Amino acid sequence: MPDHTHTHPHPQSHSALSGPARALRLGVCGPVGTGKSSLIALLCRELASELELGVVTNDIYTDEDARFLRAAGVLDPARIRAVETGACPHTAIRDDITANLMAAEELEADYAGADVPGLDLVMIESGGDNLTATFSPALVDVQIFVLDVAGGGDVARKGGPGIERADLLVVNKTDLAIHVGVDAGLMVTEAAAARDGRPVLGLTRTEQATVDQLTAWVRAQLARHRTGDLVPQDPGPMAAHSHDHAHA
Amino acid sequence: MTDAREAIHRDLVLMLLADARLPVAGHTQSATLEPALRAGLGAGDVPGYVTTRLRTVTRVEAATAVVALHHLAAGLDVGPVEAAWAARTPSPAMRATSRSQARAFLRLAGRLWPETAPVLAVSAYRAPCRAVALAAAAASLDLEPAALARLVGYDDVQTACSAALKLLPLDPADVTGWVVGALPTVDRLAGEVAHLTRPEEIPACGAPQIEAWAETHAHTTRRLFSA
Repeated sequence: MPDHTHTHPHPQSHSALSGPARALRLGVCGPVGTGKSSLIALLCRELASELELGVVTNDIYTDEDARFLRAAGVLDPARIRAVETGACPHTAIRDDITANLMAAEELEADYAGADVPGLDLVMIESGGDNLTATFSPALVDVQIFVLDVAGGGDVARKGGPGIERADLLVVNKTDLAIHVGVDAGLMVTEAAAARDGRPVLGLTRTEQATVDQLTAWVRAQLARHRTGDLVPQDPGPMAAHSHDHAHA
Repeated sequence: MTDAREAIHRDLVLMLLADARLPVAGHTQSATLEPALRAGLGAGDVPGYVTTRLRTVTRVEAATAVVALHHLAAGLDVGPVEAAWAARTPSPAMRATSRSQARAFLRLAGRLWPETAPVLAVSAYRAPCRAVALAAAAASLDLEPAALARLVGYDDVQTACSAALKLLPLDPADVTGWVVGALPTVDRLAGEVAHLTRPEEIPACGAPQIEAWAETHAHTTRRLFSA
């Protein structure tokens, strides 16, 4: 079996590449329907000309999100990988991250050849789950929790690990607020209060200024990752948040 | 954790390796049950499906694991064992799934028992199958051949049955009853393959219908489970 006799470093480390040499891994999680896929499509559209991007989707019925992104035409379909979670989206980003890590590593390895530029950013989209789902810091370097105004103005106030402690909380679809009787400004203010100073962004695709704020945040995380200043923080589940750091 | 053989009771080793909470992406697997159900099998067929696997594809896997364990314990090259398994696993999708599971398992084994010779030996292969990867852990932890065979059989039964709970409207207690009902068959299987040492002794007992379902599933776009 000649094809099985090559040697390679055995998989002892938690990632194929470690430190700033590999792509920044950005997790995007939050409840179903809040706009995770759209947010990733938006980032692809905004950043694809300046950064080498890859996406790993986790869907309940696998490749719905991957197909959405492929159909959006914002990224080469080969850069979008779907991971099946066996109806366990929470498990796949938290207690057994193996399938996602392998997908991210394969994606990075596929673009690590001498003739292609390596990836700068791999976005991992969780399968829409509940308010308690957050990424393991062993899977992503930094994470965004996505809510939307249509889910109700009180959701942010209710809190939870992602809302309170994800690196960035996005309150999405603020343009819909007037249609669903929600005060988007108040929702953002209450979320900020629940987050002890961590950043909150009211986002709508219809207002480029909010899109620019999002891309600026992502660029800042990538810069921190490259200088080795980005230490993954764990938002959950309910542990007291006591580490001492400043967020961008 | 540096000395894998440091007086850990084998029962505990077996419990650890059989635990669904082991982070090796087990939750992504249905033991090909998902396409089988899509092809028309119903809840009542699941116990028979599990038994069929134990007599065919899982028997191949258990025998491969046992022979690989013998080779690793004796310091022999596991290449021929891997080749024998591949020759008895005609479905490319099933081979790919097994190798992906092996990779998941070895990345954990490489963290837990990084310095043991069997884990190093198997990790040096580009894409070993799951049976050989499990044998590496078994060899590192002094697990006996019969115990390893029982592990392979038990894990297959639990994988199919737990997937059934996600895919069908079932009472979990009933499904656990199916698992219990399959245990004597698992035990028999282990007894029948535990003594094997040579690659050519690995039974060639595939299940063409299961293999065909595995192939179909690999090309399905809407699926809960990877395989």
